[in-house]
Parts: sequence; C-alpha cells; structure tokens
Amino acid sequence: MVDSPTLTKKFQKELNAGIASLVLLSVLNKNTRPMYGYQIAKLLEDYSGDASFMKQGGLYPVLHALENGGLLESKVEPSVSGPPRRYYEITSEGRETLVAWQGIWKQMKSFVDRAIK
Amino acid sequence: MTKSIEEYLEQLKTELQGSDTATIQDALSDAEEHLRAALANQREAQPEISEQEALEQVIEHYGSPSETASAYAEVERRTVPQLTRETPKSTSLGNFFSVYTDARAWGALLYMLIAFVTGVFYFTWAVTGFSLSVSVALFIFGLPFALLFFLSVRGLALLEGRLVEGLLGVRMPRRPLFTQQNLKWLDRLKELAMDRHTWFSILYMLIQFVLGTIYFVIFVTVLSFSLSFIATPFIQEIFGYGVVMNNNIRYYFPTWSYPLLIFGGVFFWTAFMNIARGIGQLHGRMAKSMLVTD
Repeated sequence: MVDSPTLTKKFQKELNAGIASLVLLSVLNKNTRPMYGYQIAKLLEDYSGDASFMKQGGLYPVLHALENGGLLESKVEPSVSGPPRRYYEITSEGRETLVAWQGIWKQMKSFVDRAIK
Repeated sequence: MTKSIEEYLEQLKTELQGSDTATIQDALSDAEEHLRAALANQREAQPEISEQEALEQVIEHYGSPSETASAYAEVERRTVPQLTRETPKSTSLGNFFSVYTDARAWGALLYMLIAFVTGVFYFTWAVTGFSLSVSVALFIFGLPFALLFFLSVRGLALLEGRLVEGLLGVRMPRRPLFTQQNLKWLDRLKELAMDRHTWFSILYMLIQFVLGTIYFVIFVTVLSFSLSFIATPFIQEIFGYGVVMNNNIRYYFPTWSYPLLIFGGVFFWTAFMNIARGIGQLHGRMAKSMLVTD
C-alpha cells in the first residue's frame, strides 16, 4: 500500500529545505530595512496567495541557520506591544551568496521545467 | 486544542524534549514573539471572532507544536556550531600534535585569557549591583534598581553565552529569554527574583572571577615556562648568559641538552594546549548548565 499523502508531505518538506533559505535571503535583500519574523511571514503569505508551502514556524530555524552562516545579522529591539523582536538584515556576504544562489535556481528551474514537461 | 499561547509554548517544550537546551530556548522565544504579534494582528483584522478562534487560525499558519519542533530539529541537525565540525582522527602522537590545527584549542586558549577580564568585570558588577540593590531597598527607588540589576544579569548571561559558543564551540542560546510582557514591573521583579536562572547567572558571575584568575595564571605560567625552555639554548649560545643563577654563580646547560630543552618546551606547551581544550569543554558544559534554563 503506498501512503501517498505522507510521501507528498515528505516531498514538499525536502523541496522546502533549500528553497526557504533562497526565499528568505531574497526577501531580506529586496527590503532595505531590517525585518522581524512575523513581518517576513506576512510578506511570504502575500506572495503565496492561498497555497501555503510551509508553516511559518519553520522559517525561524532557517533564519537562525542563515545568521549562523554569516549571511544575515540580527538585533533585538523592544516593541511597544509584546515581547522584544529580532530584526534580521542581510550582510554583504549574504548578497554575494544570493547572486550565486539565484544563478543556481535559474538553471535548476529551467532544467526541471524541461524535464517534467 | 491549544487554549493559550502559554499552553502552546508548553506543548512545544514537551515536543522538543531531548533537543539541545539552547535550541529549545531559541524555539520558545521565536514562537512567543511570532504568536503574540500574529494574534494581536488577527484580532485587529477580525474583531468579530473569539480569541480562541483567532489563536487557532494563527497556530494553523505557524504550525502545530510537533511540526515546529521537527523544523528546528531538522535545521539543527544540518548546522552544528562551527567549532565542533572537524574532529581530526589519527595515531595517538598525531592526535597529540593535531591540537595545533584544532580551532577549539585555540579558542579555549583565547577564552582563558578573556575570562580573566570578563571575570573581574562580572564579579565587580554582581557584587556592586547586589549590595546596592539590598542597601537601597529601604528607599523608594530601591526596587526599580533591583529590577535593572536583574535585567543586566540576564543580558550579561546572554553575552557570556555568545562568547562561550564562539570560542569554546558549545551551543548556547542566541536569543534572550523573555517572559510575559503585560506584567507590571513589580511582578516582573518578583518573577525574576523567583527564577532559579537569575541566581545561577549571578553565581556564575562570581565563580567566573575565581576561574578566570586561575585560567590566566596557568596560561601565563605555562607559556613562560615553555618559552624559557625553548629560549635557553639560544640565550646561552648567542648572548653567552647562563640561564640558571644561584648565589651569584651562573650555571650553563651542556650543549647536548639543547635538543632536549627545546623538545621539552614544545612538548610542555602542546600538552597544555590539549589540556586547555579539555578545560574549555568542561567550562562550556558548566556555563551551559548554569546560564541556560531547562
């Protein structure tokens, strides 16, 4: 018996693993001002429309990993309502890396498009 | 069904059991920041729905505690703190000397030096802050002062954590720990004062003074011993000085002992670097158990 929904879920998760880094880096590159997690999640929601590709909670560990790799930096600032917020900003290494990643993505995209057509 | 953000955080904590304590603390802070912002936003956008419904929608987007926990576990598996990545393996002698290529050993050495400075600072800060808090408690501004002191302790604990992770390669929290925000400052003070974590951090600040001094003394002693062993042949040959002096009589080491002296100096230093790496790991473990809440 093939467990199709589970396999589909797994496929989606594996696909998200790399794409999330690319998307987060791009979003932070486009926005000149530092952004906090919820802001980023809202923006991505606007992009994805009704389809939700990944849970918002999954964005945060990716942000931490990018920061750990030196592609992002962050600072905590108090907010008027609620807990202090962590604002993320892309570094110059992050920008350089993003250019390389975008190149890979373009090649990958056209390759996959041709393959599945 | 999750009834409140606090309950969600509890469930997330349960799901994350067995993960790195620092990861748990980061995950809880992220979730709290996000859920509170999202809930406030949702309530504003749709005032007609109940708080419970709004929370359900928010969690639907954020992910269930188990989904969130698995996302952290997944990323954590892929990204190990930088210094713990390489563990060179070879013969025992190779192992002994490979310490020179191990970033953790150099990090530990640097930490032993820095710990002296930070230790003195922490100790001064903790003692001054604590005694001032107690003595001005008689006055009206005594309690706000104590709150400021406790908050500064939390901040310094986070800073020390970054230092420990950077130099000793032990994963520490990347985010400050925070609690309910709608608390009055007096309740916040009470909460901080009741929290084990605050007192352990203060204790750590006091202990760090002693440890920092010991580390520094050992470091300087071993360095000067090793260097003087290595330098002895050169000083004798180039400057003609006998290195050992007793009752105004200079003693010279015989020429055949030169290789032994140099080898002894290098060996002594290498052994120390191996020990320093171990001390660093132990210190990191201690810092983790005292500065990170479980």
